[in-house]
Amino acid sequence: MRGAPVLLALLALAARVDAQAIVTSPAPDRIAVTVYRNPDRGLEPLSLDWLGGYALVSETRHVRLPAGESELRFEGVTSGIVPQSAIVTGLGEAVLEKNRDARLLSPGALLDASLGERLLLKRTDKATGKVREQEAVVRATSDGVVLQTAGGIEALRCTGLPETLIASQVPPGLSAKPTLSVRVRSPDPVERDVTLSYITNNFDWQANYVAELAPGGDRMSLFAWLTLANGDQTGLADADTMAVAGKLNRNRVEVSPGEAKPIIISCWPQGTTSDIPLEELAKAASGELIVVTGSRIAGMAAPAPPPPPAMAERGGGDMMAEEEKLGDVKLYRIPEQVTVAAQSQKQVMLLKRPAVAVETVYRLQPSPSEFESALERVLVTRNDPAKGLGLPLPAGGVALFGRQQGRRILIGEGRVDDHAVGEKVEIRMNEAPGIRARGTVVGAGKNAEFVVTVTNDAPESRAIEIRLPLDARGARLVKYEGSMLWRARVPANGSAELRYRLDR
Amino acid sequence: MRIALLAGLMLTSSMAWADPPAPNSPAGEGTAQGDLSITIYNNDLALVQDIRRLDLPTGRSRQNFADVSAAIRPETVGLAVPDAAVVEQNFDYDLLSPTSLMQKSVGDTITLIRTAPMTGVETRERAKVLAVNGGVVLQIGERIEVLRDDGLPVRVVFDKVPESLRARPTLSVTLDSRRAGQRPVTLSYLSNGLGWSADYVALFDQKASTIDVQGWVTLRNTSGTSFANAKTLLVAGEVGSENNPGGYTPRGRPRTIRAAGTETASREQLGDFYLYPLAERTTIADKQTKQVSFLDVQGAPATRGYEFNNGWLTTSQEPVSASTVLRFSSSRDGGLGDALPAGTVRVYQKDARGNPQFVGEHAIGHTPMGSQIGLATGQAFDVKVRPVVEERTRLSSSRWKTRMRYTLTNATPKPITVDLFQSGLVGDTRVTDESLKSARPNADQVRWSVPVPANGEAIVTATFDSRY
Repeated sequence: MRGAPVLLALLALAARVDAQAIVTSPAPDRIAVTVYRNPDRGLEPLSLDWLGGYALVSETRHVRLPAGESELRFEGVTSGIVPQSAIVTGLGEAVLEKNRDARLLSPGALLDASLGERLLLKRTDKATGKVREQEAVVRATSDGVVLQTAGGIEALRCTGLPETLIASQVPPGLSAKPTLSVRVRSPDPVERDVTLSYITNNFDWQANYVAELAPGGDRMSLFAWLTLANGDQTGLADADTMAVAGKLNRNRVEVSPGEAKPIIISCWPQGTTSDIPLEELAKAASGELIVVTGSRIAGMAAPAPPPPPAMAERGGGDMMAEEEKLGDVKLYRIPEQVTVAAQSQKQVMLLKRPAVAVETVYRLQPSPSEFESALERVLVTRNDPAKGLGLPLPAGGVALFGRQQGRRILIGEGRVDDHAVGEKVEIRMNEAPGIRARGTVVGAGKNAEFVVTVTNDAPESRAIEIRLPLDARGARLVKYEGSMLWRARVPANGSAELRYRLDR
Repeated sequence: MRIALLAGLMLTSSMAWADPPAPNSPAGEGTAQGDLSITIYNNDLALVQDIRRLDLPTGRSRQNFADVSAAIRPETVGLAVPDAAVVEQNFDYDLLSPTSLMQKSVGDTITLIRTAPMTGVETRERAKVLAVNGGVVLQIGERIEVLRDDGLPVRVVFDKVPESLRARPTLSVTLDSRRAGQRPVTLSYLSNGLGWSADYVALFDQKASTIDVQGWVTLRNTSGTSFANAKTLLVAGEVGSENNPGGYTPRGRPRTIRAAGTETASREQLGDFYLYPLAERTTIADKQTKQVSFLDVQGAPATRGYEFNNGWLTTSQEPVSASTVLRFSSSRDGGLGDALPAGTVRVYQKDARGNPQFVGEHAIGHTPMGSQIGLATGQAFDVKVRPVVEERTRLSSSRWKTRMRYTLTNATPKPITVDLFQSGLVGDTRVTDESLKSARPNADQVRWSVPVPANGEAIVTATFDSRY
């Protein structure tokens, strides 16, 4: 039997007459990554197995190409690569075409590619342990496997005997991962640095603001993390890392992860005269086993919840992202090279402001009807240096803390959108259960009068703002930015009342 | 020693039973494809022409065409054979599988090889297949048995594969030839699973107000078949979508053409479509995405503008970012100088260190040469607009007066101009008073071109008189 593999190898050699040399670039020498946000995510936390943002990866690779035609294969790119976005610079006119092959090496593909070819069929005798190998030609693979051996035509694994097929080589064109390659033709050998840039799915980032309200309630310290997430299978080591804030137009492209087919085993009808269908029993048992395994895998695949950002006071000399303008969006550059590992999150400091002047306003936009509800707490400031700010604020979640007897306590969570310098900033926090409003209606139809009573259970007075439609009429209402506003202070442990009508 | 001898015998005998290898073809090894020419359209459709050399006998013969597209539309197959007529053509889906093999063997005799569980001793028997219905009923000598009824290992060996069963769906044609001999045979058919679009890389230089544009055609093969060494032609257009079974062609096209061009590009044309031939033969592998360059323009003029559209006469609770619009032309003079097939334009701009960064993308439809193009690539961080309804008065049951105020802010250190649109002007809506002269591009919209100073703001007010 020793002759068989040699023969197979010879056949294999004869089959592989490739005109072009294959040059593989295993990994980038230098790498830069710019991460873009998912604009639709809102306040949802980053979930590593479903990241809606994306990244631009630029890799520099040193390659040596022979004269003539060659295929340069780039290994180690991310699995979420959008192939049509790939740009290869540095090879100039020599590039004939770019390809991405998603035919993966899998048991099914191996067998499919061997259709009509000779493989080794290996049978092991259960009783004696004796191994017998013989040549077999694969005749069909689409619905069960049919083989031709010296004895005749047989079906794979329909006999009750342990049997398997052995190939001597991997068919050309099958790779372990989807592979990006360029076909290059050059009159002379080439040795130079090539840049490969591409857009990849499976990345996202967000800003996380941590604000601490001073005891007086009129100032807060503001600190923000830049949280990067890489949900890809590929890590980016020692990368120049950047993040872009702003809403860019992009259609999400779903990238096929490649085709990986299993071997399909299907046999002729296996009827029996017995009452107890042995095979059915075995199948049911194995089916149950699969369910158990599946749930276990699902449990393992769920990533650990991301650790909450450390909230220690930060001293000077921290690594902080540097902001620069890029067209009409903002680019944040991490000053040192960092590693953005696969399936992980990374946080660096985005900005820090020790004292930001804020005002707390309790707001409600009531309907003209009977109601009872709590008011929403809103922190209001302006994004300019006079207020202690004056820098672009990328959208993100805000955690607001206060201090109670030296201890830090969370008093609210909210979100801010992108804010340019000079804009009014309103951070909507949560409902304040102690500041409540009740609405009553006196009269009906055109003469209906609406009464809003706001109560305050705090030992200090509170600033409130009731937003009404433009056609509301009342002595205390003022017109402001398309609304009629009632601005007032509700006294400590007291109440305030508004009466208005609608001019309709 | 005996085993070795046996193995040697098997080897020699194996040479005898092996199938003849795939016929030699210009396409390369391992495929029966001949000289391939493929024309690919945008809507998941391709015309494949395959010229093979066949050796035909005189009279009728059946010819199999292996390695045709797995997504072939068999009703579109055409065959041109010199000195022969096509009697019939079949596309056979009767696939070879263990089940079909057994079913086609009813009435035939097969070989059973039983392996004794304890000793591993093999015994051979011949058996006649009586029926294959939920189980295999066999006649062995005088006995009637059900195959593997006892759960013991039994190998079933068939003598041959029935003629009609095939490993893959196969096109077979019966030909009636007037003479014997080799000749080229032209097979052509339509196939799904092949499509293409364009991808553009646009590097925008804000200082110089220019763009460098590279265009790539991206073709995708999901047909299940590799096409070896094919002459490839891409057609910028969609044909016969009504004949596309189950195909869906979206009608809505991205509105990127601001003024359609009237120039003719210096490309080959076929009917209304532009043609993009690939310079060389190429192999389009299954599950492959392939890109070939077709356009490379340096330094075409381009400007960045800002647009904001208020869809209705309403107040927005917060300032909203204006869209960043990249404007350029596809004309010969002062433009890209080519017709642009439909695809995606990805815009890049260099950062402070000179590295290109992605700043947004937009899809374009088929764009004639000479067109004015505006691509909304994203929203400007530092340019915002806040529309506010200042006053709304009812003049009668069908007439309203609305006073609008638009506050435009610019946090960039350069003065800019924002194209401010107010849409949703249904019925007969007139602008009775405005702080800046407006244009009325259509009945539904008014437009102001508002200059906004650097790090400053501008305010536009207007009064609308709406009659329904």
